[in-house]
Amino acid sequence: MKLVKKQCTDASPLHAAVLGATIDRRTFLKRSGITAGGIAAAGTLSMSMMKKAAATDRPPTDEGTPAQIRSICTHCSVGCGIYAEVENGVWTGQEPAFDHPFNRGAHCSKGAAVREHGHGERRLKYPTKLVNGKWIRVSWEEALNEIGDQMLAIREQSGPDSVYWLGSAKHNNEQAYLFSKFAAMWGTNNMDHQARICHSTTVAGVANTWGYGAMTNSYNDIHNSQAILIIGGNPAEAHPVSLQHIFRATERNHAPLIVIDPRFTRTAAHADQFIRLRPGTDVPVVWGMLWHIFENGWEDKQFIKQRVYGMDEVRAEVAKWTPDEVERVSGVPEETIKRAAQTMAEHRPGTFIWCMGGTQHTIGNNNTRAYCIFQLALGNMGVAGGGTNIFRGHDNVQGATDFGVLSHTLPGYYGLSEGAWKHWAKVWDVDYDWLAGRFDKEERPGEFFGEEGPSDKSVNSMTEKGIPVSRWIDGVLEDKNNIAQRDNLRAMVFWGHAPNSQTRGAEMKEAMEKLDLMVIIDPYPTASAVMQDRSDGVYLLPAATQFETYGSVTASNRSLQWRDKVIDPLFESLPDHTIMYKFANKLGFGDEFCKNIQVTNEEPLIEDITREFNKGMWTIGYTGQSPERLKEHQQNWHTFDYTSLQAKGGPANGDYYGMPWPCWGTAEMRHPGSPNLYDTSKSVAEGGLNFRARFGVERDGVNLLAEDSWSKGAEIKDGYPEFTDEILKKLGWWDDLTADEKQLAEGKNWKTDRSGGIQRVAIKHGCAPFGNAKARAVVWTFPDQVPIHREPLYTSRRDLVEKYPTYEDRKDFYRLPTRYQSIQAKDYTGDYPLIMTSGRLVEYEGGGDETRSNPWLAELQQQMFAEINIVDANNNNIKDGEQIWLESPEGSRIKIMAKITQEGVAPGVVWMPFHFAGHFEGRDLRDKYPKGSDPYVLGEACNTAFTYGYDSVTQMQETKCSLCRISRA
Amino acid sequence: MLWSLLLLFALTLLLPLIPYAVAYVNPETGGVPNPGSDLWRTVREANVGTTQVQGVDSGVLISEYGERWRQYRMQQLAPWGAMVLGAMVGIFVVYYLVRGKIRIEAGRSGKRVRRYTTTEMTVHWILASTFVLLALTGLILLYGRWLLIPLLGASGFSVTATVCKLLHNYVGLLFAAIVPIAFFLYLKDSLFNLKVDGRWFMRAGGYFGGEEPSSEKVNAGQKMWYWVAMLGGFVLIASGLFLDFTNLFQQGRDWLMGAHVVHTIASIGVIAFFIVHLYLATIGVEGALESMVGGHVDANWARQHHDLWYRELQAGQDRPEPEEGLAAGGTTHAGGVASPVAKD
Amino acid sequence: MARMKFLCDAERCIECNACVTACKNENEVPWGVNRRRVVTINDGSPGERSMSVACMHCSDAPCAAVCPVDCFYFTDDGVVLHDKDICIGCGYCFYACPFGAPQFPKNEAFGSRGKMDKCTFCAGGPLPDNSPEEYAEYGSNRLAQGKLPLCAEMCATRALLAGDGDTVSDIFRERVTWRGASGFAWGWGVAYNRPGIRRGYAVEDKATGVD
Repeated sequence: MKLVKKQCTDASPLHAAVLGATIDRRTFLKRSGITAGGIAAAGTLSMSMMKKAAATDRPPTDEGTPAQIRSICTHCSVGCGIYAEVENGVWTGQEPAFDHPFNRGAHCSKGAAVREHGHGERRLKYPTKLVNGKWIRVSWEEALNEIGDQMLAIREQSGPDSVYWLGSAKHNNEQAYLFSKFAAMWGTNNMDHQARICHSTTVAGVANTWGYGAMTNSYNDIHNSQAILIIGGNPAEAHPVSLQHIFRATERNHAPLIVIDPRFTRTAAHADQFIRLRPGTDVPVVWGMLWHIFENGWEDKQFIKQRVYGMDEVRAEVAKWTPDEVERVSGVPEETIKRAAQTMAEHRPGTFIWCMGGTQHTIGNNNTRAYCIFQLALGNMGVAGGGTNIFRGHDNVQGATDFGVLSHTLPGYYGLSEGAWKHWAKVWDVDYDWLAGRFDKEERPGEFFGEEGPSDKSVNSMTEKGIPVSRWIDGVLEDKNNIAQRDNLRAMVFWGHAPNSQTRGAEMKEAMEKLDLMVIIDPYPTASAVMQDRSDGVYLLPAATQFETYGSVTASNRSLQWRDKVIDPLFESLPDHTIMYKFANKLGFGDEFCKNIQVTNEEPLIEDITREFNKGMWTIGYTGQSPERLKEHQQNWHTFDYTSLQAKGGPANGDYYGMPWPCWGTAEMRHPGSPNLYDTSKSVAEGGLNFRARFGVERDGVNLLAEDSWSKGAEIKDGYPEFTDEILKKLGWWDDLTADEKQLAEGKNWKTDRSGGIQRVAIKHGCAPFGNAKARAVVWTFPDQVPIHREPLYTSRRDLVEKYPTYEDRKDFYRLPTRYQSIQAKDYTGDYPLIMTSGRLVEYEGGGDETRSNPWLAELQQQMFAEINIVDANNNNIKDGEQIWLESPEGSRIKIMAKITQEGVAPGVVWMPFHFAGHFEGRDLRDKYPKGSDPYVLGEACNTAFTYGYDSVTQMQETKCSLCRISRA
Repeated sequence: MLWSLLLLFALTLLLPLIPYAVAYVNPETGGVPNPGSDLWRTVREANVGTTQVQGVDSGVLISEYGERWRQYRMQQLAPWGAMVLGAMVGIFVVYYLVRGKIRIEAGRSGKRVRRYTTTEMTVHWILASTFVLLALTGLILLYGRWLLIPLLGASGFSVTATVCKLLHNYVGLLFAAIVPIAFFLYLKDSLFNLKVDGRWFMRAGGYFGGEEPSSEKVNAGQKMWYWVAMLGGFVLIASGLFLDFTNLFQQGRDWLMGAHVVHTIASIGVIAFFIVHLYLATIGVEGALESMVGGHVDANWARQHHDLWYRELQAGQDRPEPEEGLAAGGTTHAGGVASPVAKD
Repeated sequence: MARMKFLCDAERCIECNACVTACKNENEVPWGVNRRRVVTINDGSPGERSMSVACMHCSDAPCAAVCPVDCFYFTDDGVVLHDKDICIGCGYCFYACPFGAPQFPKNEAFGSRGKMDKCTFCAGGPLPDNSPEEYAEYGSNRLAQGKLPLCAEMCATRALLAGDGDTVSDIFRERVTWRGASGFAWGWGVAYNRPGIRRGYAVEDKATGVD
């Protein structure tokens, strides 16, 4: 029913002029002759009140309706659908995508404001270079030539490892894949992206527990949950649309929501039980809950027997965490822990959600494994409504992680072994020897420190994990003899990655100033452009946003979504893949780079890139999501079910939306995708799975394969190892392969068979290509085999350090010496009595330059602040809204506003958002931005104050628990 | 039968009262924590909230003062104000019809006496014109919606109202400057003399019969007008500036509404008195207007209305100045002081 | 005829501010003018609730009653709109509105505020529907296109509902039914002290977590 608006005029009797005809204002003015007078100049008589920005004038109405372009939000991993309305190439409107299965048209403040990307007033508009402290505009050719020449010189003098390629979670999948290839062809593993400092401990911990390190179910699957536990996460601000799904469970299933966090967050406001814990005590709390579960026999014994290895060793560790000990260490009393444990035990299946609060610690990998073990104990894995639902961060951090924009692996988590390199060399259609020749093979036997001391091993930078982003500054500042590569880092490329999300800001400034060259490739200048005091050697290259290009993106639930291009790149910006190709050409490997990818006007064809990775990503099943299928899903959002995500009829009938990986085999096989991982109630062909056989078949005489548990329809009704050609032959299934498939599958396994035949045949017989094994609660390759608690490096509880010490210092960890014990040894609590922790705000994202440049968002958070409990405020004579100095034990200080809270944070804890930048230790750096590119809102970066501390497996930074002190400014 | 019916009737009335009695005796039984009602109670009573949006009062979810102000202004303030002002005008229409102009009893003597200095006149007229402008624009803003929109149409009245608002807000500043000057300028003459002014009040200034009582330079009524105008003026200035410059203190809505009510009441009050002054100073009393226009008054006028002042003036001189063109004739104001000047 | 209403479900609002930015987006609202805002009660404490508020399009609109120039009008759908050409920027509507909906672009000396601007229920203003002039002055006119206000269409959790009052209350009633009275029925929380019963408030347990 079309809604009609009545016109207001003087036609109503009330307004009817007594003197006959009504007069309108203009006529009145004309006749009365006062327009000429100064009164009209008073301004209030002017027609228009709304500010008319020239760039946003709506054009006169076209004859036709504006084009409706389907895209996906560029901010977080929920992956909300967007309809962009474009007229004459201008993005004029944004409509809700009611038919999109993830968000049904909903957004958060960032998603509702994405149209501002089409305004782009604070964007980096053209290539810029810093000369004598001033920003000079240059052309792309000039910039690329100069940068390329410098890089080639560095390569000549110090080796390719001296150039660091820091990539982005905001690349789309094709760009991320290309980026991995780019770094490989340049000849270095010194590349990384935001996942390192976000969920790297999750991926490592979870993958080493049961095979894959991603969200096991989906946001929509939470509709089926009977209980929801969130630890170290605030989805109400970080993934607001996920609350739509969480509320469905809490309202319709009456699922209790438990939130465990040091801070009473907006998520906690909607919880049934809020548990406040001391920052860094996740393991005690989770083991504390497990203690009650074991004590009362609430665990799922059958599930453990069939599908879990090593639970007895966990029991031994958990037995140490009696309620008293838990309370002593974490501050959480017995009845609280017991109630939470009982809730989860009595309301199954329950889902377990975590974010940075759990991951960003020196023991991050222990935390994430503890969460997994908890769910294994309750048998909540592999069921709808259960799982470990890890909420990833940026829109394509999942994709970038999957495509190996990481210093320790190639795309698809193949690792860096020779076999992995050979596989990818084949996919890239390049000669393996040529590829290996690109790397530095400096031999320094004996000179170099291995884990156990000086070693004879020569450094092979091709198979050696590269320096992670959390440690790049040490790559610059550390004595080069202590780094396991030829020379220090001399050039940094910040490609879609802000610096203020990493710790130790003061040292970072120093490192930036020591570099030969800094290149920033981003739609916005970022804090990298201003936080250092260089006068030369900084280049800013404008990149296009994801709305100015197209391609696929992977949401947290492993679904791939296809974006269409909304508008052409603004100003002189270029999409990432074009910039990569230009660099590749300049640096001498352009031909190999896009050997089988069509390039037009220096832009590689996205669909060809998709097809190329479809040919190589067998490990995690990125092989079935062809461009055609992805586009089909995109055009048929409305056919996918809201809860199950399965298409009911329509062209994609039977598929799960986005074909969540693993989507096995080739696209021809039309595997529907795997919506819930490890779900044995479905056959593998229908998206079911079991735990991966990744860790061998037996250990210490104990069977590591599954016992009496198999996915529906499996012809092997028991555990089995991962599939190789040998196993197929043994099972007599070899001849199910076609002749072509046999050719490629000979001598290969399910990961390296580029025909996809092994996978196809295994699935044909109902089996999972990666085997059927138990999840392991004991990871014998990790520093702590069973997850244990260790105090943070900067801890407020010196009394616990003896019993729960941190690790020993390490000489070579991701090429760098890494300190633990030597930092924890010193007692800082006298001078720095408050615990410092950090988190997110809904209006901003990541380093924040992009969102702080959006006036609609920036208006809502205009000041950087620290949340301080009223007791601490009174103790330090600080009032609400006052400016304070916050100082860290490493000597940094930041000047921010105090926000006093009664019980938001507990006494003794200070919380800060990490999105601000543009101030540095009290200095306002606004003038240092290139003109017109400074964000509306600037502030101190909390990470200027955050301190040293890195996870023992992934080098994740410890930004959730450190120490500080505050004082009035 | 009858008794059972009565009993039934009694029980029907009494039984439902038991829960109330229980609740009365033990009030705690009713305590149900209902998050919904608790929330709304907090909203309505405490009126505090936080928001990311910056602005005056943006943290207030619901404010009750607005509706109270609206009801008060529309149901009481505006109607009563109109009635008061209408009544004042009506009174003087009737008075004029009944009493007519108050004449100079002795007729014009032709002799002129200096009453006001140039300064006093200038200040008066600045004060008067700003006040009239403010009063008119203010009344148009208050009542124009009902009186002028039918005449001018909505768009037309919008222009008028805009002009009125601008004039009111800018001229108000001028008024704020002139009132303190006027206050000090006329202060000495306006101090009450209890004996003289008391007597004047007792006789209602002679306006309702009886002879006109003695007055100083300004009579008690005029003094009263002075105090009303000045004190009222200060109130108007304070509340007016508070409303005019919201950018200074970022004052909240409830303060502004309070200032608005004060401003309106004060303005109605002062305008009401102004009507009296206007009547008497112009058409009500012969020979009054010229005191402020030229600064001189006729000697007979002075003797009639401000005898004490006139006597003082005379005392300051040896003899009255003979003036040419004395008006012939005229009668002595019955019961009044005879003019020392013999009539010709 | 439909009677348009807003309803914000405080149990679902998570203060994500999508409604605020959606409005800014759709109507190109300048900095400093806030047609819609989210207000939080008891921030940081158990019982924290948020609510999104803009013009409520009251049947007996106080703003319309006090306007000296009578620039407000009501559409057939019950939407309260005003004519900026007639508005004189006096601020009375801002005083009278219980929700603080009227906004002014300036706050200068001599009471100079500029023309009042407020939520239009995405129904534009008195100028011709969907014309560039209407857009420049009043923002989008979605109602004339058969759509609903963008703030409600984009609410992350569907806390903010907008549309025909009967439909809106039906949706809300259904929600209340789903939620059940268990949490609020007298005594249930105490009698059946079990985690499964939703209490509505987050219960702050005794843990402080810090020594």
